[in-house]
Amino acid sequence: MHDIRLGTEDVIRRQIELASRNHKLFQDRNVRAFNVMGAIGSGKTLLILRLAERLKDKGLRVGAIAGDVAGDDDYQRFVAAGLVAANLNTGDDCHLDAHRVGHALESFPLGDVDVLFIENVGNLVCPADFPLGTEGELVVISVTEGDDMVRKHPKMFAQTDVLAVNKVDLASFVGVDPMVLVDDYRRLNPHGKVVLTDAKSGRGADDLLAVLGL
Amino acid sequence: MHEYSLAHALLEGLTEHLGQYPVQGRVKAVHIRKGELLILSEEALAEAWRILTDGTPVAGSELRIEKVPVRVRCPACGYEGPVRYVSEEGWHFVVPVLACPQCTGRAEVVEGRDLAIVGLSVDDAPLDRPSTEERNGSRRLLGEDRDLCG
Repeated sequence: MHDIRLGTEDVIRRQIELASRNHKLFQDRNVRAFNVMGAIGSGKTLLILRLAERLKDKGLRVGAIAGDVAGDDDYQRFVAAGLVAANLNTGDDCHLDAHRVGHALESFPLGDVDVLFIENVGNLVCPADFPLGTEGELVVISVTEGDDMVRKHPKMFAQTDVLAVNKVDLASFVGVDPMVLVDDYRRLNPHGKVVLTDAKSGRGADDLLAVLGL
Repeated sequence: MHEYSLAHALLEGLTEHLGQYPVQGRVKAVHIRKGELLILSEEALAEAWRILTDGTPVAGSELRIEKVPVRVRCPACGYEGPVRYVSEEGWHFVVPVLACPQCTGRAEVVEGRDLAIVGLSVDDAPLDRPSTEERNGSRRLLGEDRDLCG
């Protein structure tokens, strides 16, 4: 028996390289792109729509890529709201990756948008391992999922610098103190920024835009 | 659950490498480095490896995983090294905090997102009774790779 040392390509570094290509494309086309991750049903799509309304008021053109395992429900919501949109079904994958997004961007009219939201597959685990090349990342959870959602997915929150705690208007109905989520997040990510939102009413959307630098 | 796709990517890289630099003998173990930040189940990765390598030249090889702890660099104070960890009773989890342990500033990850094959353990017993010359030449066939056993 003998051991051989070898250096095959790091498969995560490969992902990072593909993400860098997307990043360069966004920069070249002057598009500010954001990876919107989060729990299933946390309100990612509606939150994006609320942000888009405000950005449109500022004269910015907004696009969205709807990442889902199957179906075009979110895509149809974006289209109905007048966003430049694309649907990106992963088939069976539980996350978007830079390769798949890169192909979606080949046919996406980047020249028609100033801001692009890429809505990831609802999942608080896998998307954290796959950078897409966006300038910012946002993770959305809602109080209706319980006050333990952050501590149950520590690595996602330790690595994502903006957190939206959505549906805060329902907190008292479901007996959840949003500050438990905020405190857990601060312990995991001392530099992370948190915004409490209620996408239905639009509460917190302006603060979220400010945190994203928009 | 992206262990299968990443195991597949690892296997593709290894297959390509072995195509260029074949080894003589059976590959008993494949050594990989896995960054601590990756959300990968080692059990699922090993199982994916077992299934995906079936019928390949590395079938039956064991995946040996070396964990790579997070290292950060702090642009503010110049610190480079390990991070501090959050370990809460009841969380049953120890989580690296991506901030500078020296000045608490925002830190850049230097290591901890790795996933790569770094070595093979190869059984020296010949598969098809190659000649002595071929056996002695097996290390030469490894191309640029270094032999840890000297």
